[in-house]
Amino acid sequence: MAYRPARLVAVILFVLGLLLPAGVPAGAEPAPDKSVFTVGVTQDVDSLNPFVGVTAAAYEIFQMVYPTLTEYGAKDFSIQPGLAESWTESPDKTFWTYKIRPGLKWSDGVPLTAKDAAYTFDRIINGTFEKVNYGNYVGNITKAEAPDDTTLILRVDKPSPIMEKLAVYILPEHIYSTIDETAIQSFKDEPTDGKPIVGAGPYLTAERQVGQFTRMVANPNFYRGKPAVDEVVFKFYANPDALGQALRKGEIDYADSLESNVFDSLADVPNIKRLSAVYSGFNELAFNTGAATIDNKPIGDGNPLLKDKRLREAIGWAIDRKALVEKVLGGHGSVGSTLIPPMYADWHLAPPNEVSYDPDKARSLLDAAGYPLGPNGIRQDATGAPLKFRLFGRSDKAASKKAVEFIKNYLADIGVETTVTLIAEDALTEKIGQGEYDMFEWGWVVEPDPGYQLSTFTCDKRSYEDGGSIVANLSDSFYCNPEYDALFTAQSTETNPAKRIEIVKQMQQILYDDWPYAITYYYDNLVAYRSDRFEGFVPQPAPDGSYLFQYGTWTYENLKPVQAADSGQAGSGPSPAMIGGIVAAVAVLGGLTLLLLRRRRTAGADDRE
Amino acid sequence: MSLISGPDTASRSSVPGRRVVLAPGVRYGLSRLLAAAGTFIFVILFNFFLFRLLPGDPISLYTRGRDVDPEIKRQLQARFNAPIGEQFLAYIKNPFVPELPSQRFSAPVWDVIGPRIWPTLLLVGTATVLATVFGVWLGIRSAWKRGQRFDKIATTVTLVLYSMPEFWFGMILLIVFSVGVFGIPGIFPVGGLSTPGVNIGTLAGMADVAWHLALPIFTLTVIYLAEYSLVMRASLIDEMGADYLRTARAKGLREADVRRRHAVPNALLPTTTLIFLNLGFVVGGAITIEYVFSVAGLGSLTVLALRGPDIPLLQTLFLLFSAAVIVANLVADLLYARLDPRVRT
Repeated sequence: MAYRPARLVAVILFVLGLLLPAGVPAGAEPAPDKSVFTVGVTQDVDSLNPFVGVTAAAYEIFQMVYPTLTEYGAKDFSIQPGLAESWTESPDKTFWTYKIRPGLKWSDGVPLTAKDAAYTFDRIINGTFEKVNYGNYVGNITKAEAPDDTTLILRVDKPSPIMEKLAVYILPEHIYSTIDETAIQSFKDEPTDGKPIVGAGPYLTAERQVGQFTRMVANPNFYRGKPAVDEVVFKFYANPDALGQALRKGEIDYADSLESNVFDSLADVPNIKRLSAVYSGFNELAFNTGAATIDNKPIGDGNPLLKDKRLREAIGWAIDRKALVEKVLGGHGSVGSTLIPPMYADWHLAPPNEVSYDPDKARSLLDAAGYPLGPNGIRQDATGAPLKFRLFGRSDKAASKKAVEFIKNYLADIGVETTVTLIAEDALTEKIGQGEYDMFEWGWVVEPDPGYQLSTFTCDKRSYEDGGSIVANLSDSFYCNPEYDALFTAQSTETNPAKRIEIVKQMQQILYDDWPYAITYYYDNLVAYRSDRFEGFVPQPAPDGSYLFQYGTWTYENLKPVQAADSGQAGSGPSPAMIGGIVAAVAVLGGLTLLLLRRRRTAGADDRE
Repeated sequence: MSLISGPDTASRSSVPGRRVVLAPGVRYGLSRLLAAAGTFIFVILFNFFLFRLLPGDPISLYTRGRDVDPEIKRQLQARFNAPIGEQFLAYIKNPFVPELPSQRFSAPVWDVIGPRIWPTLLLVGTATVLATVFGVWLGIRSAWKRGQRFDKIATTVTLVLYSMPEFWFGMILLIVFSVGVFGIPGIFPVGGLSTPGVNIGTLAGMADVAWHLALPIFTLTVIYLAEYSLVMRASLIDEMGADYLRTARAKGLREADVRRRHAVPNALLPTTTLIFLNLGFVVGGAITIEYVFSVAGLGSLTVLALRGPDIPLLQTLFLLFSAAVIVANLVADLLYARLDPRVRT
C-alpha cells in the first residue's frame, strides 16, 4: 500500500488530462449551415471508374455524376429527355439523331457538347476493356458522329429499341482523352487534389474513403439547376443491425436495403418513416431443363426427368408462394408469376392461367404424366427411376436457406424427394455453368428494359466450349426454344414500343407455360428514413417505389432540408473532435498512470539490491 | 545472478582446439533466421496452390448480371485461367506483387490492400498493446494475491469477458454507448473510421479517428485481456514457490521487489511467446469486430476476397499475413534467447 500517494497523483493527472485536450481541437467542424444528406448503405462501392464499377452503390454515383442522353421518368419509367432534348430514328432506320441541349457546361466550366457524347460512344465501340460494362448498349452502333455542338448521330447496323434508352454515361472528353486504354483499367475516378471530380450530373464525387464513405457535393453547373442539399454522403455499414441503429441515432438520414427484422424494429420510432418499396427483383426455383452447350452437346449431370415440362409444371402447383412471402420475406413482397416484375407495369404479363397453391392438382398432374407413387412414398417414372433431385440453396443468404427448406417440404408433400445442399453463390455459379445441378433457388434484378432479362433464356446464352473447358454464360436453366428465340430477335429490332410490348408479353407467356423457372416471389426493398430532417422524396415508380437507388436521380434533385427542425447532426451529441480528444487522453493517460505507478515503486526499492 | 546474462557468453565459445566459428548466440540467431526463411519459402510455394484449390468461377461471378460479349469474356478467361505452369512462373517472379489486378476491385492488389492496412494496425495493434499491458499487470496482481478477493474477481471477470462472443459483446457496447439506452448518452459513432469531410491529417482529424475507434478498441482489448492475464497469472504462480525467491527474501528484499525483480522476469517467458504470437496476427485483423463496427480493415477485406475467389488479392493477403507471423515469431525467438539463455545452446 506504499504507492497510494502515487496513485492519487496519477488520478489527478488523469482527470486534468481529460479536461485539457477537450478545448483544443474544434476548428475542423463543418460550416453549420451546410446541409448534408447521409445515406447508410450495406454495400461499398467497388470502383468509381464507370468502366469498372458494377455494384448498385457504384451505379448510383455514376448517374449522379455523369449525364445520359435520355432518362427513365420517376412516375412510370417512361423515357424522358436527359442530355438530349429530343431524338429521332432516321426513316431508313440506319441512324439516330439526338439534339443535345445547348450551352451546357461541365462542372469545371468547359463546354459540354455533342462531341463529348460522340467521344464516349466511339471509345466504347472501339475499345475492348471499355465494352465490358456497356457492350450490350453499343452492340448495334457502328459509329458516333457530332457534326455540330448540339447534334449527335449514332449509326446502327440494325434497328434497335435500346437506342431510346442508352444507359451510357457521357464522359468529359477533355479528361478521359488523357487516359489511354491501359491506364483506364486502373483509373480510380476519385478526387486527387481535394477538388471534386469533373462531371455534369447533380452531384460530384468530392471524397472517397475505401470501405467507409463517399462524399458528394452539389454541382452548381447542373443543367436542371443546382440541388438544394449541399452534400450527399454514402456511409458504409458492414453490419445490418448497425445500419438500423445509426438511423435511430441520427447518424444517417436514410437507410437502404434493410433486413426485415431491422425494418420491423424501426416501427413506431419517432421521426422515422419506413417504406416497403416495390422492387425490380424476383426469386425463382430454377430447373436444369437439359444442360447443353450452344452446340447442343450435353453437359453436366442433371437428372433427365426434369426435361419433362409436365413434371416441372406439377412442381409449380406444389409451391405455396403466399406462405413463402409471409415466412421468408416477412410479408415484404408479393407472389411471383412471370419474368418481368409488376413494378414495370407496361411490360409485366399477369398470366391468365396463373397457378395457385394446389398440391392435389400437382398430384393429379403427376399421376397423369406417368409418375405413380412408389412403395416408399416417392414417385417414380415408368422405368422405376425415383423422382429424387438435388436442390441447391445459397449458404450466404438467410432467405435462400429458408426458402429451400420450405420448397423441400412442398415437394415431399407431392412425392418428390429433394436433397438440399447449401453452398456459396460463387460455387453455385460454377455448378450451374457446368450443368451440375437439378434445381436451385436464386434470383435476378430486372432492368427497366426487358431485353437483357429475356436474353437469359435464349439458346445462344447457354454455356459454350472454349479450349476444352466449358464456360458459363447467362442461361442458368439451359432453356432452348426456337419459337422463343425468334420472338427474342423480333423484339430486339422492334422500335415501335407498343408492338414490342406485345412480343415481350408473348415471350413471358411461353416461359410461364414451359416452366424453366418456377418464379416464387417479387421482393420489396426495405428502407427507412428520418422524416424530421429532409423532405421531397420522389418514389420511382409512383406511388410505392424506392426513393433512392432508382433509374435516375429524381430524389436528389428534389430533396431539401426540413426548415423547422434544428440543424440535424450538430445537435446529436458532443462534437466528434472533443470526444476524440477525451478518448486519446484516456488512452495515453491510462498507459502513463501505469508507468507512473511502476516508476514510483521502483524508486523506493532501487537502492536495496 | 549476473552469471548468465548475455554478452559475455561470446568469450566462452572460443575454446582452443575446437572448430568453433560462431558464438552460440550468433549460431542460434542464424539457425532461427534460416528456419524462418525456410518457412517463408514453403509458404510462398504453398500459397500458390492453396487458393487454386478453392471452388468458384471468378469470371462468371465478375460478369454475372452483365451482358458481356463472349469475346470479351474469353479474353478475361484467358487472362485469369492461363495454364497452371505459366501462372506459377508469373507468380514466382514476384509473389508479393501479382501481375493481375484484384478481380473484385479491378485495381492493382496493393491499391486495394494499402488503404486498409492502417485501420487494422490501429485497431488490432492498439488493442493488443493495451490488452498486453493491462493483462500482464492484472495477471501479476492476481498471482501475487492468489486466492484473495482481487484475484477471485479479476479471474472471474476476465474469464467471463473472454468467453463472451465478440460479436454479441461488440453489439451490446454499440447499442449502449453509440446509440444510448436508459439515459446513457450515445456518444460514440455507430461505425466507420472518420467523419466525412474531416481531414484526418490534422490534430482534430486524429481526434476524430480516435473517437471512432474508441469502442472497437475497447471491445477488443477487453476480449484479449484474459489471455494475457491468465497465462501471466499461471506462470507467476509456478515461480512463486521457487527457491531463488526465498533467497531473495532472505537477502531482505521487500515483497514488491522480490516480485518485480525476480519472480516476474522469470514468469514473463510464456507471456512473451504469447505476445509475439499475437503481434504476428495483428495484420490479419479482427473480422468480427471489423464487421460489427464497420471498420474497413484487412479482416473484412479477406472475407470479400474469399468470395469469387479473388485469387490475386487473396494470395497477396495470405502472404502478408504469413510474413507477419513469421517475422513476429522470429523476433520472439531471438528475444527469448535474450530473456532465457538456456535456449541458446
